[in-house]
Amino acid sequence: MTLVRAVIVAWLAALIALTPGASRAEGVELAQLSTQRGEDGLELSFNTRFELSRAAEDALNKGVPLYFVAEFAVLRSRWYWRDARIARGERTWRLEWKPLWRQYRVSTGGLEQSFATLDEALSVLRGQSAWRIAEPKDIEDSGNYYLEFSYRLDVSQLPRPMQIGLQAGFALSVEQKRGFNADFSLKP
Amino acid sequence: MTRTARWGWVITLVTLTGVAGVLAFLLSVGTTSERGFFERHYHWLFWVNVAVAAVLTLVILVAAVRLVLRVRRGRFGSRLLLKLAGIFALVGVVPGLMIYAVSYQFVNRSIETWFDVKLASALEAGLNLGRGTLDAMVADLGNRTRDAAEQFADAGAPQLLALERLRDKLGVRTVALVGGNGQILLESGGDTSQLTPDRPSRTLLDKARGSVVTQLEGLEDEAQALQGGARIRALALLPNTELRLGLGERYLMVVQRVPAAILGNALAVQAANSEYQQRALERVGLRRMYLGTLTLVLILAVFAALLLAVTLGNQLARPLLMLADGVRQVAQGDLSVRPVLASRDELGGLTRSFADMTGQLADAREQVQRSVAELESARTHLQTILDNLTAGVLVFDAAGALETVNPGATRILRLPLSAYVGRPLTEVPGLAEFAAALDARFEQHLGPDPAERDMDRELWQESFELQLDPQQEPLSLLVRGAPLPQRARLVVFDDISEVVSAQRSAAWSEVARRLAHEIKNPLTPIQLSAERLQHKLEAKLEGTDQAMLVRSVATIVNQVQAMKQLVNEFRDYARLPSAQLKPLDLNALIQEVLSLYAEPQENGRLVADLGPNLPCIKGDASQLRQVIHNLVQNALDAVQDRADGRVVVRSSLSLTDAGKPRAVRLHILDNGHGFAEKVLKRAFEPYVTTKSKGTGLGLAVVKKIADEHAARVSLRNLHPTVDAGSPPDDGREAAVIGAQVSLSFSNLAPAAEPGASSAKT
Repeated sequence: MTLVRAVIVAWLAALIALTPGASRAEGVELAQLSTQRGEDGLELSFNTRFELSRAAEDALNKGVPLYFVAEFAVLRSRWYWRDARIARGERTWRLEWKPLWRQYRVSTGGLEQSFATLDEALSVLRGQSAWRIAEPKDIEDSGNYYLEFSYRLDVSQLPRPMQIGLQAGFALSVEQKRGFNADFSLKP
Repeated sequence: MTRTARWGWVITLVTLTGVAGVLAFLLSVGTTSERGFFERHYHWLFWVNVAVAAVLTLVILVAAVRLVLRVRRGRFGSRLLLKLAGIFALVGVVPGLMIYAVSYQFVNRSIETWFDVKLASALEAGLNLGRGTLDAMVADLGNRTRDAAEQFADAGAPQLLALERLRDKLGVRTVALVGGNGQILLESGGDTSQLTPDRPSRTLLDKARGSVVTQLEGLEDEAQALQGGARIRALALLPNTELRLGLGERYLMVVQRVPAAILGNALAVQAANSEYQQRALERVGLRRMYLGTLTLVLILAVFAALLLAVTLGNQLARPLLMLADGVRQVAQGDLSVRPVLASRDELGGLTRSFADMTGQLADAREQVQRSVAELESARTHLQTILDNLTAGVLVFDAAGALETVNPGATRILRLPLSAYVGRPLTEVPGLAEFAAALDARFEQHLGPDPAERDMDRELWQESFELQLDPQQEPLSLLVRGAPLPQRARLVVFDDISEVVSAQRSAAWSEVARRLAHEIKNPLTPIQLSAERLQHKLEAKLEGTDQAMLVRSVATIVNQVQAMKQLVNEFRDYARLPSAQLKPLDLNALIQEVLSLYAEPQENGRLVADLGPNLPCIKGDASQLRQVIHNLVQNALDAVQDRADGRVVVRSSLSLTDAGKPRAVRLHILDNGHGFAEKVLKRAFEPYVTTKSKGTGLGLAVVKKIADEHAARVSLRNLHPTVDAGSPPDDGREAAVIGAQVSLSFSNLAPAAEPGASSAKT
């Protein structure tokens, strides 16, 4: 009996240890994150607040493109097995300085936009509204759903030697895990 | 798999992992593919390499500590191993360190030389140049558009023809009149591939309301821009001269393509600049990467070299250690078979030769030991023979000192001769004369020239009479002498007292036989003559004469009878018939004989003490009867003059250790005077007697009969305190309280013979 109890305790401890933290942030503040269930599925809106560090801005001005990635995953809790993933997706913004035109260029999914100033360019990739993240059929059955969301500056897409000698200031990320209400709005 | 082999495998695996890791790492650094497998696992690889390096460090530390501990403890061979490992490590590590130092400098310098201030500024200048050129083109088009718009306004209503003319004049791609909302009113030139001409954006129109507006377009896609997609658009408000309402504002729009050559150059400069700037940014990382890789390779190489050093050192030292160990063990006398190295090189050959040598040594030693053992056993055998020899053996060395004495000599001479080994025989008390005689005999037989010796001639034999103890009979010794090599001398002697006694006995019996014969012959005529004298003369004589005659004749007859008896006894002694041996019961015989002595038995002077259950012996009843008779009579004679005289006839059985009967014994004891020493020695010779009246043949006959029966006769005097038979230990004669005669019959009849009891006589 003692052995069985010990095993159960160990399993629970492992489960708790493996459960990702509800929210983690480094240099980025998630100002707003909301979902809305519409006619054609679930839509996500988010907005972040962050400033590029001197090092990152320097790299950008020297022609290094920066990648910002927003990732989400909708999961349904299952007590008897690993949680089922209903939907997942990511969106990548590429921010680049074109010295010849003196323009900041933001490209995402084939769409390119040029901006004269960095703030304008950053305002585009700081947030996203009405991002459809799930089909209506995916979220029909009533279950215990939750959302995993992260937004970060993707360091792994920097040139490799830069990754090795990476200075501080490139660490920009935020992660959140929120449960859904019955009407698929996010719980606070 | 042995422990060493397992270790070897582990080390090899670790080293291989390290090498593979380094290769993968190098591959990841050197590869140009954007995001390959190794790039994605760069960190992972790095840490694997670090882990391998750590494991190797641990292994080497453990090995080094073990080695040092062995050296400290003075373990055999550890110094050689340390030296070899040190040499190999030096050979491996020093070049590695040199290459590392050079490469480090090289990498550092070459990375630094990539980045040049002049190059940076040149690239910057090129970029600025391109930017300036484009700016100039844009500004120029704007100015010309404004001028054209003013002219156009002066010319009045614009016509298509006028637009065409303007387009030619300006040398641009498109000239168009645009309405206030951005709609194209008139157009000259333009893109034929587009159905709807591109309209200016609202913001652009708003800006153009103030003055002329210029804008670069089509730069999003650089490939397309190079093929003519890049263009400059200028928009200028046409001054409204005819204040016609409803007509609204009109704009003149001019679009000009950017020349591909200029754009291409500018883009190339931009790309190069960007790349250069990136590289400058990556400089720290690059250097760190290269140097890190270099250091890692160095560490792994050094560790591999150290491990190899230890392994090679072991490999090289093993046969040497084996040999040295073998030599040490051989020196300690262990010649067991040595292990042989299986390799075919010279060291392996050396170990094989060593093993052969050890084997031969072992064989030789074994042979030596065997021959020594054989010698020893032969010597022991000889010694045993010598010790058990009844004859006495003496060996003298060249100086005349006693060298070897055997127990036989000690026994015969009754002197502790072994105590005089190494000293001349003359020092032994009582033997001075004997020694002198021996010397004389040797000198006598020694040839004058030792070279011409004749061994046979030098052998001599002589009998000596040696009087050691004045109270005892002299010893009769038969002495033989022989010279030995190295001027040593061998003397062998036998006690022939018995032989002499036997010879004397034989001589006596011969004398007795002849004397008896010679004497007996005249006795009968003498007796007859005497009786006849009496017969004839008795009647004729009277008185005293007759009485004298009768008395004299009686005397003669008696004396003749006595003489006859004497002669018969002599004859009997000389001519005893040979014994007829038959099984007989000794007790029955004794009782039969004792029945003749009824009177002494009745008054207690003669007592029989017979042992029960005696086995039958083989003997001649009549002869044994005579023996018992003689002995009992002797004993009774000995105690005749004593009031408390007492004779005991005793029979007993002596058993072997296994409990089987060995001999039947007959003892006749008396408490008389005992035997005189002189008599004791020669009691069995004829005519030796203690009695005043007797022929002295009794014991001689007993001895003879006993000899016939293979029985042993012994005489001894009985002494009071000590056990019967054991000689007085202090040499002083104890008081004699009696004598004992013992007969021991060992010739027993078969035990279960049915005729044993019927053979009683």
